[in-house]
Amino acid sequence: MSDGLNYKFLVDTFFVALSGVPITLFVTAVALLVALPLGFLLALTRINQIPILNTFSQVYVSFVRGTPIIIQIFIVYASVPLILTAITEKYNWNIKIYDINPIWYAFIVFSFSTTAILIEVFRSALSTVSKGQLEAAQAVGLTNFQAYRRIVIPQALVVALPNICTATVNLIKATSLGYAMSLQEITLKAKVAANVGYNYVEAYLDIFLVYIILCSLVEYGFKLYEKRLRKYQYVSS
Amino acid sequence: MLEIKDIHKSFGKNEILKGVDLTIDKGDVVVILGPSGSGKTTLLRCINFLEKADSGKAAFGELQVDLHSASKKDIHAIRQKTAFVFQSYNLFNNKTALENVTEGLITGRKVPKTEANEIGKKALDKVGLSDKYDSYPSQLSGGQQQRVGIARAVALNPDIILFDEPTSALDPELVGEVLTVMKNIANEGTTMLVVTHEMSFAKDVAKRVIFMDGGVVVEEGTPHEIFVSPKEERTKKFLKRVLPEDYTFYI
Amino acid sequence: MSNMEKYFDASYIWSSFPALLPFLKITFLVAGLSIIFGTFFGLILASMKLGKNKVARKVANFYTTILRCTPSIVLLFLVYYGVPSIADNFGIYLHDIDTAVFVVITFTLQFAAIMSEVIRSAYESIEKGQFEAAVSVGLSPFQAYRRIIFPQALVVALPNFGNGMIALLQEGSLAYTIGLIDVVGKANLIIAANYNTHALEIFIALAIIYWILSILIEKGFGKLEKMFSKGKQTIKAT
Repeated sequence: MSDGLNYKFLVDTFFVALSGVPITLFVTAVALLVALPLGFLLALTRINQIPILNTFSQVYVSFVRGTPIIIQIFIVYASVPLILTAITEKYNWNIKIYDINPIWYAFIVFSFSTTAILIEVFRSALSTVSKGQLEAAQAVGLTNFQAYRRIVIPQALVVALPNICTATVNLIKATSLGYAMSLQEITLKAKVAANVGYNYVEAYLDIFLVYIILCSLVEYGFKLYEKRLRKYQYVSS
Repeated sequence: MLEIKDIHKSFGKNEILKGVDLTIDKGDVVVILGPSGSGKTTLLRCINFLEKADSGKAAFGELQVDLHSASKKDIHAIRQKTAFVFQSYNLFNNKTALENVTEGLITGRKVPKTEANEIGKKALDKVGLSDKYDSYPSQLSGGQQQRVGIARAVALNPDIILFDEPTSALDPELVGEVLTVMKNIANEGTTMLVVTHEMSFAKDVAKRVIFMDGGVVVEEGTPHEIFVSPKEERTKKFLKRVLPEDYTFYI
Repeated sequence: MSNMEKYFDASYIWSSFPALLPFLKITFLVAGLSIIFGTFFGLILASMKLGKNKVARKVANFYTTILRCTPSIVLLFLVYYGVPSIADNFGIYLHDIDTAVFVVITFTLQFAAIMSEVIRSAYESIEKGQFEAAVSVGLSPFQAYRRIIFPQALVVALPNFGNGMIALLQEGSLAYTIGLIDVVGKANLIIAANYNTHALEIFIALAIIYWILSILIEKGFGKLEKMFSKGKQTIKAT
């Protein structure tokens, strides 16, 4: 075993791992597209103490933060087919549940968990924008919706952005658990390549590299965007 | 022009407003004085629906509304007729001085952008900030921020401007510039309802002074009546506390 | 829905607890060791970040960035396959040691990165004046840290430390992938013994166990924070 790394395999598999990036990014993008608006709306129910929805959001956030994602994956992967079977049997639909592309499960799980994380992110960001901003907007004749869209949200977004960045990086990392749903992302692709010749060290080094590059790029992108958004926050004297 | 009838407002068990009436005519500058906790600020906030009163009525020219159960449409209509200057300025942190002034015009009233910019620049010129159009609030001093706040109110060309202790959050050396601006717009015939602790402003600028204490109007009259010959014991006590011993009024 | 009951039987949730709970021992052991070692290395990393040595600072920051970008499962397998093969090069045979060792190494590496940030930000939240004042009344630098800086930084660090622990506990659930028989590992064994039926019930039981643990940790740290924050008003006021 101590004959060193297999460099040819190392290089070849790097590209195999890289070929999983689109799926990883696709799942990440869909999860964010669902979670950003939904998380924001539910954060509003927390901030404004809307009776039932507020409690629902609280329990939802607590559950997601309190359980490992892998177990959330197990639960969705085990329960969705059961539920679908029950429904299709009841209405006599002819759908082959076990032919469903695993990416749908990935969408469900990662949207579900990211939404909860973003509820907390938006809740704390919104609470940093002082009530006076909303009042001033109303006083100059903006509707509630206009006040949020033009005054409150742009300010909250700047505060939320670093945390949204962290959530995105964590989401990308979490998609590595897609193997449990046979999702053809970075980790699974490289691992399968390694199975042939037991080149696991090389394969995991490649996976490791791909994630570092991917996450560094995402962090860099967020930093640039943050700088642009922050233009109004000059260091005050 | 503005008539308020029997406003009541409680926060929990604390009754802040216990039935306040108020009438303001066009072009009047009315100053409300009173110790802290007397309900002055709450009164102002209820008029603009920043707080929801427990009961009370307001007549705004033709427009009659119930202060407790006004519809969204009525609230919007009243806010279109009024403007508010906040104690803590509340400038929009993410907008430049000019954008702060034009935001209500462009978004709230659908005024075309070029026209709004012109109005905005004029308003900022009026408060002496011609060189600060593109500054963000974080780049302005407190006095400058409050002057933008006043420009933001003036630009809306409202029927009345409500001032909520506009100089209380300022360092003493910055109070003067804001009071000067307020005096100027008062002289132009703007209708103003001002809650303040600045006695000199009340004395020099106000047409009528209202003294509030414990959630009711104790006494009202001309500055001369209130400052020189107050009738009520509570007014006398208050003035004695806030005015220097040897303070005399020359009116 | 009668067909549904064939597949889902809630009684399996309750009956699996007695089988699962004893294996929390392993979960706790692995997590506890990672926390102890991770905190120790985190302290070293934090002092590198806060120190004057530029190279040490760069190294520590680089380490944190890399670890932040690496999924736990990738790190776990990298350690699991990588450590023995590195050891091979030095003629040390590590392929037979307990999988728990690899798990502890992995999560020590990860927790050290988390803790270094927790400690750094807590330390930086304490004003310089506190140290200067302590020294000015005649405390030695060490005494100043122990009696003035540390108690204040602790209060700031506690909630983040708690969050770090919850994160560690959850990431630790992946240890089953390299064959550790902790609660998750045991759950998978039970499911396999049931010929993969009633997996959902077992997973729900697992979720409940983790959920309760996380809430307990959160509540516990909330209590600790209250206990230690006697002087907090002063901190806030400064």
